[in-house]
Amino acid sequence: MQITVFAFAHTRDQLGFGEKVLTCEAQDTPRAILRRLAPQFDPGKTVRVAVDREYADWDQPIGSASELALIPPVSGG
Amino acid sequence: MKKHIEFTSAPIVVPPRPGNLRETGACVEFHGIVRETENGRAIPALFYEAYEAMARLQLERIADELNAAHPCDEICLIHRLGPVPAGEASMYLRVLSRHRQEAFAFAAGFVTRLKADVPIWKTAPPASRCTAP
Repeated sequence: MQITVFAFAHTRDQLGFGEKVLTCEAQDTPRAILRRLAPQFDPGKTVRVAVDREYADWDQPIGSASELALIPPVSGG
Repeated sequence: MKKHIEFTSAPIVVPPRPGNLRETGACVEFHGIVRETENGRAIPALFYEAYEAMARLQLERIADELNAAHPCDEICLIHRLGPVPAGEASMYLRVLSRHRQEAFAFAAGFVTRLKADVPIWKTAPPASRCTAP
């Protein structure tokens, strides 16, 4: 299956991409996918992850999701 | 509760209040405005971006949760994306309710949660993305 990974704001600048499509398995976790994409990038405690537009756990398998997003600290308003 | 949630790259134009407001006794409005300085540094503008699909979903949910605690008749949120020159509004919120307490509580809670959980970001704009003077 394929998943689209989105990166926003300074996370996009750090990773060097805003959107990437890659092949993965249902049992893959967001952390494993990110490690494959950018082994040197550590999301730490401030970058959250969203799976299919919902905040998710870095270590929860993605199942049949089609979108994964890296969400650095938000600052709207 | 009616919800109007909009993202726009154009200056915010406040929409007219709905005409049929026989049961509405309160209208609370909030304009978030881009300051001319950020951390003591003069800035011509801020640049806003969003994960729009998720932001809409989160905003709808936050509105529904707040409505359960502070029932309101209608909300209107307009948030800018792209460059927003200093002095212009980056967001506009209007809450209509039967009584003022609900509208004030809803508005305060909505802005607080937007700033904490909704995937919208502001950054000082690179020159190439900003047309402000």
